[in-house]
Amino acid sequence: MSRSIPVKDRIGHFLPKLVLSPSLVFVFVGVYIFIAWTIWISLSSSRMLPKYDFVGLAQYVRLWSTPRWHTAVENLFIFTSLFLIVTILLGLFLAILLDQKVRAEGLLRAIYLYPMALSFIVTGTAWKWILNPSLGIQEVVNNLGWESFAFDWITSPTFAIYCVVIAAVWQSTGFAMAIFLAGLRGIDSSIIKAAQIEGAGLPRIYASIIVPMLRPAFLSVVVLLSYISIKSFDLVLALTNGGPGSSTEMPSTFMFTSTFRRDQMGVGAASAVMMLMTVAAIIVPYLYSELKEGGHEH
Amino acid sequence: MKFKNILLATTVALSMSIPAFAESEVEGIHHWVAESEVEALKVIIDNLSKEGFTWKDSAVGGMSGGNATQALRTRLAAGNPPATMQLLGFEGINWAKEGALQSLNDLYTENGWVDAVPPQIERFLKADGNYFSVPINMHRQNWIWANKAVFDEYDIAIPKTWNELIVSAKKLKKAGVTPIALSDENWQVLEMFEAIVAGQGGADFYKTAIVGLDEEALKSDTMIKAFDTLREIKGLVGENITGRDWAVATSMVASGEAAIQLMGDWAKGEFLAKGMRPGEDFLCFPAPSKTPNFTFIIDAFGMFKTDDANVKAGQVAWAKAIMDPEVQAQFNMIKGSIPARVDVSVENFDACAQQGYADREHAIEEGTLIPGLTEGFAVSPEFAGVFSDVVAQFFVTEMSSEDAVIALVAGINNAR
Repeated sequence: MSRSIPVKDRIGHFLPKLVLSPSLVFVFVGVYIFIAWTIWISLSSSRMLPKYDFVGLAQYVRLWSTPRWHTAVENLFIFTSLFLIVTILLGLFLAILLDQKVRAEGLLRAIYLYPMALSFIVTGTAWKWILNPSLGIQEVVNNLGWESFAFDWITSPTFAIYCVVIAAVWQSTGFAMAIFLAGLRGIDSSIIKAAQIEGAGLPRIYASIIVPMLRPAFLSVVVLLSYISIKSFDLVLALTNGGPGSSTEMPSTFMFTSTFRRDQMGVGAASAVMMLMTVAAIIVPYLYSELKEGGHEH
Repeated sequence: MKFKNILLATTVALSMSIPAFAESEVEGIHHWVAESEVEALKVIIDNLSKEGFTWKDSAVGGMSGGNATQALRTRLAAGNPPATMQLLGFEGINWAKEGALQSLNDLYTENGWVDAVPPQIERFLKADGNYFSVPINMHRQNWIWANKAVFDEYDIAIPKTWNELIVSAKKLKKAGVTPIALSDENWQVLEMFEAIVAGQGGADFYKTAIVGLDEEALKSDTMIKAFDTLREIKGLVGENITGRDWAVATSMVASGEAAIQLMGDWAKGEFLAKGMRPGEDFLCFPAPSKTPNFTFIIDAFGMFKTDDANVKAGQVAWAKAIMDPEVQAQFNMIKGSIPARVDVSVENFDACAQQGYADREHAIEEGTLIPGLTEGFAVSPEFAGVFSDVVAQFFVTEMSSEDAVIALVAGINNAR
């Protein structure tokens, strides 16, 4: 009897590691090995097929001399910042409204969350029609009698990127709302009551107490939305296909086109590495600070 | 149907007392998924099954063959290539140079195929002295499709130069007809542009500037003028062109809403499907050009190296089926293109195809059979991409022709 306890302990000690090890192997091979492989390819002269030579940073020079890549990078910043800000503000606003103990909350929540159930291809195709001046909003408003009304952003090289933002916000706002709503439900109502007794108005309570307490929810939303925006490949492809011209090109579509359509695997790999570095530069410090602070508090 | 084919194949094979072949299949990757394309493919498959082979279809549709190409690369990387694959543009040349494709030299010499195909397409059939693919068809890219009723009503003559075309188009615009059905999709704009370059500059200029990527030619006034012409065309394409599909543009011409469309001969099927007849309801004529030229696209099949004797025999049968003159005639009547072989009778083809065939004969003699840029036959994809980027950006923005030429030269040099 007394000997079986250490064995049990040992099993208990190894079991989690044993269970986790296959997924660790998969992640290691599927993610980190291929990150390393991509970096290697980005330093080679690969064109249609991988070639394992070394040309230094030549592919990066070529990448940054491509005007289309500059458009893609600018678009990524415009898209990511607008998409994050608008989705978070709108999602938070909806969550606060829904938190006011409204009737049929379940139904409303489902309605707002539904777009998330669609794939970006569907969203992109639907919004392509909605935003098309001869089919969608503009046509409807014109037919209603307001003939001078124009909403043709999708045809304009300058404004088309904002159409991508609109479609992405529509898709993801419900999702942000759901996370914020869960966060709001987790806040102890006695804190709010205490604040009310102190004489604080509702706006003040939200601004100074509730929103700061939603910090973990913000972390989840920011991380998840940033990754959606980086991989916004299918949305762009379905909505504008990178057009008009190449004005809604994104790094992800650029990477795909270079690698698989234009036989420039080296350039494609270089753009993938640039994307990885951009994401790492933003997400890693943010995660680090958030997780560190969280560790101190508890 | 498949069962019937197998049955037929088996009986034929047995009667020829080569039962070993009865079990043989030929697997091929292709991207023909549209109805007429599948029908056309069936012509080759039927011929193949007469030889006792069954066809294993691995169709991968989408992205103008881009997805099929991806499928092939994955299969090759896994060491499991198909017996045959439809090769587009420079794809075949690259694989031949990688040593993945079989040499078909013996078949070409034994069957007299060397003289049966136009010399101008040899670049896509032969690399390092070895024939590596067999062509089934040839599409022409620089066609203009017109609504005859609109032409008659406004008394428009078939334009011989781009200036004439623009003058007529302006007249139509005043009358309230959309002169040119076009979209802002990059490839459609590029088709227009390459027809302008070949038309205004002539076949020799096209060969130097586009195929040869000569920097002086790319910077020349001819190129600037081509961009100027494209700018004028933009004013004549009507409203709401964003994301318009080529087939939608074709149906605008068919309905008389628009007068003309510049498009490859796959547009013909859209007219024929509406019951319209060439010469009576719609017109087909080559894009204006100072020297008549013929911009070609071909579909060719390459055979991947294998040690399996059965597969090898199947590949030979497949190559012979594709190069069979009767198969080429039947296939192309359905597909809307013309036979790749130059010795096939086209008397049963429609008027447009017959004109295309005659134009090609002329172009072969004059050396004006030139490879299409948009579909990837003029230059390899990294350069074609630069043309597409610059021309499309020029079309949708206010870029000047001079800036476009500078961007073109810089982009080409960057991709070299």
